[in-house]
Amino acid sequence: MKKTRSNAVILIIALIIGLSMIVVFSTLSEVELEQKTLVTPSGALIQTTGEIINPIDYSGEPLDFDPDSFLRDFNYGKVSQLSDGTTLREFTLIAEDDKIMEISPGVFFNVWTYNGATPGPTIRVTEGDLIRVKFINNGEKSHTVHFHGTHPAEMDGVFENVGPGGKFTYEFVAGPAGVHLYHCHVAPVEEHVSRGLYGAFIIDPKEGREPADEMVMILNGFDTDFDTENNFYAVNTIPFYHLYKPIEIDLHKLVRLYVINILEFDPINNFHLHGNMFNYYPIGTQSEPSSFTDIVTLSQGDRGIIEFEYKYPGKYLFHAHKVEFSEKGWVGIFLVKDNQEKNIQEIKYGT
Amino acid sequence: MELSNNSSKGKLFISGIIPFAFLVILILYIFGPGSDLLDFGIPLPEITIEKVDFVDSEIQVTVRNTGPIPVEVVMADVNDRIRAAAVEPDGFLERFETTLVRIPYEWNLAQPYIIGITIEDGTRFEKEIEAAAPALEPSFDLVIFFAVIGTYVGIIPVMIGLLWLPFIKRISKQKYHFFLALTIGLLFFLAIDSIEEAIDVSDESLAGIFNGTLLVATVIVLSFLGLYYFGDKLVKKADSLKITKPVAIALMISIGIGIHNFGEGLAIGAAIGIGSIAFSTFLIVGFALHNTTEGIAIAAPMSRGKLMLGKLAAMGLIAGSPAIFGAWVGGFVYSPFTSVIFLAIGAGAIFQVIVVIMKWIREEGDKNLSSAAVVSGFAVGMLVMYLTSILV
Repeated sequence: MKKTRSNAVILIIALIIGLSMIVVFSTLSEVELEQKTLVTPSGALIQTTGEIINPIDYSGEPLDFDPDSFLRDFNYGKVSQLSDGTTLREFTLIAEDDKIMEISPGVFFNVWTYNGATPGPTIRVTEGDLIRVKFINNGEKSHTVHFHGTHPAEMDGVFENVGPGGKFTYEFVAGPAGVHLYHCHVAPVEEHVSRGLYGAFIIDPKEGREPADEMVMILNGFDTDFDTENNFYAVNTIPFYHLYKPIEIDLHKLVRLYVINILEFDPINNFHLHGNMFNYYPIGTQSEPSSFTDIVTLSQGDRGIIEFEYKYPGKYLFHAHKVEFSEKGWVGIFLVKDNQEKNIQEIKYGT
Repeated sequence: MELSNNSSKGKLFISGIIPFAFLVILILYIFGPGSDLLDFGIPLPEITIEKVDFVDSEIQVTVRNTGPIPVEVVMADVNDRIRAAAVEPDGFLERFETTLVRIPYEWNLAQPYIIGITIEDGTRFEKEIEAAAPALEPSFDLVIFFAVIGTYVGIIPVMIGLLWLPFIKRISKQKYHFFLALTIGLLFFLAIDSIEEAIDVSDESLAGIFNGTLLVATVIVLSFLGLYYFGDKLVKKADSLKITKPVAIALMISIGIGIHNFGEGLAIGAAIGIGSIAFSTFLIVGFALHNTTEGIAIAAPMSRGKLMLGKLAAMGLIAGSPAIFGAWVGGFVYSPFTSVIFLAIGAGAIFQVIVVIMKWIREEGDKNLSSAAVVSGFAVGMLVMYLTSILV
């Protein structure tokens, strides 16, 4: 009797310790035979039979947002002519706050959107046009659209909160010419902006600008764990995107970037171009550049026009010279192609 | 007669089973048709970075899903800078499952690093490493190195402590009780020390899901009860085993201290293994002084029997040598979980020894635990340990 009892005690202790050990030592059981090689930008490589998680050199399925199509996509609105000759441009912006978007490979984040994406559509008009923006709030929280530029106070999108299911029409004459932005201005503004409610608002001068290969670059980021520090930085939402899908531009052709810094939490951001210098027009309101430089530093909400052309073909980086940001996604490549010698060049790039 | 006995046994069996059956039904209901009832609240994912190894141009991170729901490891970073990585076997983790994240990285020796792992909802978990050091590869030299350290902090100090035996032998009963009580003080301090260490390790490296403090408490009680039960048997059988009661008690003390020293060895081996401290000669001296007191604990009860050098040496080995095994285990196959378990077992073992010695004093003395000798001995024991612990 005593013996069986002592055996039972041993058994119980052994079982408890044994089970805990199983939990601890539950091991990597399934082993795939396929060997993959991971090469990092620094040249280090490792062999693995497992999965590769590499947002820096991503080669999987396209993510929910396509920076390539956003880059050169300008929305001029529904155009009509008023009796006095003024051009009327009508837009519709629909806010939502329930979209879950894959912002980096495997990372699904609840973004708040205008027209289903962050950034919202790039709105492009000419100075003096009458702008009419129908705003519909399909979200569960109040939202607005606050445009930068000149307009009457009641069109400022600050005091007229639009509740869930509500509508509001913003109407004003566009001005001054430059690169502006629009964003939600409902408190807490930092949250509404950092979640993704913003877009580019470009007002062209009446006389127009010199023809160029034009692009919109919104410098943004995401704080996915809500510690008021960005986990990801990007040009147009997807981190590292233009590092693995470079932006193709032509040799000797003028490139015009509308660059907007909408980053929250970090006081500054910057833009640095490799192998070249650019003319910088702060806010794009003056016709003369303020500087000829290869770096420009932008505070929150700051923006400007960058113009350059490349002398030599090849790959050139552009990135935040605040390297923390570039190592968390704000980095890309311009692939400068010489179209006249296209065939020769392609052979060169391939090698 | 026999029939009624059987049927009453049957009733007893059924009455024991019925509550259990209802419990099963309740659980089945909650998981089955009743699951909607309980489906509120938002389960938050959680992972724990259990281990970070620095190998050739690579950082290897062991990650465990310690939350209530499955998670997927989707990104790795070093010092908050995103890095490419491989996940073996894959990033999808069921509850309690682990995976190995391999990050190619040219790390620098002795430099601090923060390793971050991001899961699919964008939540980032991090672990700070005070100083990067290469993971230890078991080699003959290292085995010897750990054995030497184990001998220095385990065997030698205990043996030195045993040398007090002739001294204790010659003193009066009062003074003898003082030394027994001193032993209790020493051991009590050691037990608290082990508990503190176990809770520290669990706080630092064990996921919340393991309920670290409760795990420690449970293991202490289990280890205490187990050893108490067997220890009592040993003492009762002392006569038939041809050993005297003092020897039996001393043997139990040395087993208890041995288990404790295994835990101490684990801590030392792990500290070297994960490179969190430089193992200085000063530290060895501290441990050695500290552990000398353990020898007194064994010597005190033995002093009332015949002088048996062989047995005494054997007990010194039982108490001291586990430090060597602990250092091997801690250095080569460190796991915070096993470390916590062994530290807690050690604490339980010591509490058992304390109870045995207190009984011994009561029987030996005048059924009195509040004599000046006992009280002052206990107090001095605690104080001595505290003072020597400052060196560690």
